[in-house]
Amino acid sequence: MTRNFALFPLMVVIILVSLPLMTMYGFLILDTFTDAPPGELWPDEFTLRHWRFLWDMSAAGNVWMATLNTAVLALSMVAVVVPVSSLAGYAISRLNLPYRRFFLAGILVMHAFPAVTLLIGVFFVLKFTGLYNTMIGVILVKGALMLPFGIWIMKGFYDAVPWEIEMAGVQDGASRLTVFWRLIVPQVKPGLVALSVFAFLDGWGEYLLPRVLAPGSEMTVMSVLLNQLIAGDDIGFDFNLFKTVGVFYTLPVIALFVIFQNRLMTIFGGGTKG
Amino acid sequence: MSSFADPTLEGARSSRPSRARRAPVSRLGLILMAPAMLLLTLFFFLPVALTGVFAFTDLSTSTGIGRGDYVVTPNLLRELGDRGMSSADLEAVSRASVTVDAETIERARAAGVDGRFLDDIEGDFLGRSFDAPSDFERDLRRLRTAPRRARDLKSAAALFETSVLNQRFTTSDGLSAKLETLAPEVTPAARAQIVDASYTGARFTTENFERLATQKETARLVANTFLYVGATLSLFNVGLGLFLAVVLFYTPKGMSSLFSTLWLLPRITPVVLYAVMWKWFTWEGGFLPILAEQVGLPSFNYMKGSVVTAWATMITLNGFIGASFGLILFSGALRAIPVQQLWASEVDGASRWQQVRRIILPQMRWPILFVTAYQTLSLLSSYEQIWLTTNGGPGRTTTVWALEAFKTALSNYTGNLEYGMGAAMALVLVVVGLVLSLIYLRLFKFNELVGRPKIEI
Repeated sequence: MTRNFALFPLMVVIILVSLPLMTMYGFLILDTFTDAPPGELWPDEFTLRHWRFLWDMSAAGNVWMATLNTAVLALSMVAVVVPVSSLAGYAISRLNLPYRRFFLAGILVMHAFPAVTLLIGVFFVLKFTGLYNTMIGVILVKGALMLPFGIWIMKGFYDAVPWEIEMAGVQDGASRLTVFWRLIVPQVKPGLVALSVFAFLDGWGEYLLPRVLAPGSEMTVMSVLLNQLIAGDDIGFDFNLFKTVGVFYTLPVIALFVIFQNRLMTIFGGGTKG
Repeated sequence: MSSFADPTLEGARSSRPSRARRAPVSRLGLILMAPAMLLLTLFFFLPVALTGVFAFTDLSTSTGIGRGDYVVTPNLLRELGDRGMSSADLEAVSRASVTVDAETIERARAAGVDGRFLDDIEGDFLGRSFDAPSDFERDLRRLRTAPRRARDLKSAAALFETSVLNQRFTTSDGLSAKLETLAPEVTPAARAQIVDASYTGARFTTENFERLATQKETARLVANTFLYVGATLSLFNVGLGLFLAVVLFYTPKGMSSLFSTLWLLPRITPVVLYAVMWKWFTWEGGFLPILAEQVGLPSFNYMKGSVVTAWATMITLNGFIGASFGLILFSGALRAIPVQQLWASEVDGASRWQQVRRIILPQMRWPILFVTAYQTLSLLSSYEQIWLTTNGGPGRTTTVWALEAFKTALSNYTGNLEYGMGAAMALVLVVVGLVLSLIYLRLFKFNELVGRPKIEI
């Protein structure tokens, strides 16, 4: 198809449009191990000193501790979102719940609904329950806000499992729970993996909730650390240092993304395609 | 219910015709739903309800989130005077009277007044009260143990003064009783008014909405929000997304996957790093200003230096995140177009533009509507990127509704966080968000999505 159309103008156009992004990401990598003279665009010197924060804690604070905290937050997200969504998704997909239509409508509305507007209300809930300023509060809130997405995705995966499998299990005398655990869960493994990766990435990149709901928490996550670094130094912006810390912080995201790219792509667009 | 399922499954379990049979409620389903319901109730429904409730209060840092106290302050009395309370009443309330009782003696002892002097006071005046502090001082001077210096005597006497001013009462009755003993001539009605006005906690009011409806700032916030959502959506989320999808549709596979990955990067980059990259790109001493200087264009801090560049920066940086959403969705829709249509048009000699215009775009109507509906909601409520970059500046020129709500309630530098006002602004967004998501579900065949499950046992 389209063999009689010239390819060249298209390539020029796409490269022009993508130029800002290519510049930003190109220099993001380049700047982590080079130095440029002030007022110049192109670096003239190779250096590794921007990576000194890895062993010199005075450069950017305790990045290793912050990385650990971020990992704890991200893994806790997985631990909250994946089991809860896969149970609820199954119930909604297959079981005869009272008010099922209502549940489903609710999940859909919540999925479309912009959850950040609830931040002020969430702040009150945490204050009243005493979870304000704790990481547990942040994890629960973040997990709960991701649930509509998770339940919806999982429902899509359960819907795609042929119900003959389930029926056979039930007719052979297995309980509904056994059928779910032994027959259905193995079928939706791709969904569980994708949702886990999503939950992890969501927790890993989160800035707003730890910053607003746990400002005094002992657990500093990488996003907060990086932003403190930027906000703390108004006079000499050391962009190379910021970028290097940022790249270090983003490495796991890139790695996960490269590994799971194909699976993630299918549900990145809002999860309507399960 | 699938007709295919019924004869085998339900026929085996019950002899009744399947259509008339109502499947029993699944208790297992409720159990499986329970954890999700608990979390959603706590952090989804409850916040919605609290936003609704607190939108009608004047809750702020100064009122505190818990229960308030009853305190009469000089400021409050001045305010009441302005509102027309008689000056005689106010005088009576603010008057200090002197009482000698166990409590005031103890207070004086704690403040370091000579013990023998206090014993004498206790002996002579216990249980008495004086209307004017000067009378009390005169009587004190007659005591043998009284301090020599007038200043010491005065300060000792002052310790016996009690006044309702600046005292905290936890209940309205406590304050009311105290006022009655200290200023008996104030009428009960005036007293009730003072007690009511002295409450420091939050109270219910519709003032937030009145303020929103009347202040000039509101119009500008709404205009900013419309401009932000409209421009980002049309130029980037739909416009650029569609453009990229179409162009990449025509490019070879390797190149198209390279560029789709590039355009997905802003979405997966953690927001803080993304903000750093944009700061580097537009800040003074950053990439664009240096480049502009080298080619002789005006060079300054584009992110915050002027209103136009701030807007351009803000829309572009949000649009680059949004473009990938459109790109993925439109690419999927493009691949679904039967390729024979394109071949046929090529045989007929259609140019590329004609192909796009006559074949591709007409079939993109639903995906465009979907992206528009979905992204309107998320743009309306998103402020994280704006907060981390232009922060609504310069001045408040790029402040949108969601950012203002957030700052009012949870993050400002004046220190007085107006939770009530912020909740009122958030409530507007919650209502708009609910209405839009309901409309959007209607549009996208909700009934199909919520079809009954296949097996119901």
